[in-house]
Amino acid sequence: MTAGQATAGTVARVRARRFGGAAAALRSLLARRDGLIGIALMVFFTVLALFPTLLVGPLETAITATGPRLSPPSPGYPLGTDELGRSMVNLTVHAARVSMVIGMLATVITVGVGAGLGIISGFVGGRTDGLIMRIADFFLVIPTFVLAIILTSLIRDALGGGSTELLGIRVSLLAIVVVIGITSWSSTARIIRSQTLSLRERAFVDRARVIGSGGGHIMRIHILPNVVNLVVANAVLVFAGAVLTETTLSFVGLGDPFQPSWGQILDSARQVGAPGLGAWWYFVPPGACIVLVVFAFTLVGSALDDLLNPRRRARR
Amino acid sequence: MKGSFVARRLATASITILLIVLLNFVLFRMMPGSPERILLGRSAGVTPELLAAKREQWGLDKPVFPDQFVAYLGATAQGDLGFSFLARGKDVTEVLGQRLWPTLLLFGLGEIIAIVVGLALGAYSGWRRGGAVDHLGNAASLILYSMPYFLLGMGLLLVFASALGWFPTYGMYTPGMTYATPWDQFLDLASHLVLPVATVALGLIGQYSIVMRSSVVETMSEDYVTTARAQGLTDTRVLRAHALPNALLPTVTLIAINLGYVVAGAITVEVVFNWPGLGTLTVEALAARDYPVLQGVFLLLSVSVVFFNLMADFVYGFLDPRVRT
Repeated sequence: MTAGQATAGTVARVRARRFGGAAAALRSLLARRDGLIGIALMVFFTVLALFPTLLVGPLETAITATGPRLSPPSPGYPLGTDELGRSMVNLTVHAARVSMVIGMLATVITVGVGAGLGIISGFVGGRTDGLIMRIADFFLVIPTFVLAIILTSLIRDALGGGSTELLGIRVSLLAIVVVIGITSWSSTARIIRSQTLSLRERAFVDRARVIGSGGGHIMRIHILPNVVNLVVANAVLVFAGAVLTETTLSFVGLGDPFQPSWGQILDSARQVGAPGLGAWWYFVPPGACIVLVVFAFTLVGSALDDLLNPRRRARR
Repeated sequence: MKGSFVARRLATASITILLIVLLNFVLFRMMPGSPERILLGRSAGVTPELLAAKREQWGLDKPVFPDQFVAYLGATAQGDLGFSFLARGKDVTEVLGQRLWPTLLLFGLGEIIAIVVGLALGAYSGWRRGGAVDHLGNAASLILYSMPYFLLGMGLLLVFASALGWFPTYGMYTPGMTYATPWDQFLDLASHLVLPVATVALGLIGQYSIVMRSSVVETMSEDYVTTARAQGLTDTRVLRAHALPNALLPTVTLIAINLGYVVAGAITVEVVFNWPGLGTLTVEALAARDYPVLQGVFLLLSVSVVFFNLMADFVYGFLDPRVRT
């Protein structure tokens, strides 16, 4: 048996153990009541986001809308219509895709930047660490929402209008994705940094260094796989926050009327004066979706935290 | 030792504020259009000579760094934040000043109610862990946490203003109303205040009670609480004299840290109720792309948040000598 084969065998074994671990985590998640409720809701909304056209037909526009204007629920329109006569069922289901894709992309950026900077900060230490953590603290303290408003509209003005799309999301909405990433990476970075600090002192890192591995290699091959669990648990919580931020940004007028998210629908509802008119069907469906999605991801995120974080497990 | 603690906190706060101003400066340079056009606003009849004059007046013919930045720093320190597009060339400082008081009133009241109710609720559910109040409070806190502030506001508006008609639906005063006495004016203001304040308070109560609950639960497992119990003190005495003072400590910092997030809620609640504060100003400025006003709001809110965090640090240092090292 050559060294190459031995390494390949070890890699396969490590990989098997890791996937086994993920499956076990999912099983113990489903065994808990909060985990089960959370996962069920997540699956439901993911299906809505994946197949909106299959479920309710193409997105209705002012031209294709057929219903009466701002009418309460009726047999033809189970959730009523908006001021343009569009079916609220159609709007709400299509908005699921926009809200969830923006949330997902924003989570990828936030967690990617946060985990990357967290690992570098914890592993390299010294001045680099000091600088990164200073910036992270800065973003934790300042009211990032106002900054997000300014940045989004600046980026949008700079990019101009356009019909280019990514994953079915228009460029104008991608500005929101980038801004959420810029303004919310710091808590992820803090969590990953503290984990990296303890990993750095482990024997396997010393061993890697002794056989001549460089810093980048150690971070990629030895540190990263060991923080993946934490990153996943954090990503679930970050997603909940990202959906809330997107909703709030859209609500203050940064959404795209041609591609409504739940927040954008709520903004139109407010502009029409739906709450004052008693038109509850205009804002209760998208509102309920937001609350349920955030609720589901928060449940699963904190359940994962309980399962993966030994300190919290002991306290229960 | 004590002096160095204060000095260190002050230094950190100053650096943060400096960074905020620097960020604002960078954003100012990122704006579409040249700075001199922004300074002149959208007024007609701009000649090349006028542009050149403006450029010299504002030091825009000098290098960006350090000359322009130093000039910007000086202007900001003197409270000169530029001119608003929306308010037709009025000083940004003046525009902000007009909108500050309604926001302070709304959020001051909301914060106070939330702190009192949230901490009491959290302390009680932590003390009687697993009891009925704990279960109910936990569920309510989680739902309130998942709900954006403005959605809560829209719900309250629907039920209490539209369906029941108990409160007015928008604004700070009834438009076109004349008041016989200041008391009538106060009553009108109060009835307009109820729903927005309730929204802010409810949104915050969830967060504060969660923090307080876990803090009380943690404190209850400390040795000195067991000691107090072993001495045969009554339950309420253990709670009031031994557990609560220590459990309150972390909430001081958390309330201050939360302020940055509260601001986002502030903006949207004001928008729902058309409350004429900084939040509605932000949205109006956003719609008109009135960047000087937006940056003014950002600067004002950031500096206030940093200031309150600094105060919280001092209060914490005063209450808990262990951190003063």
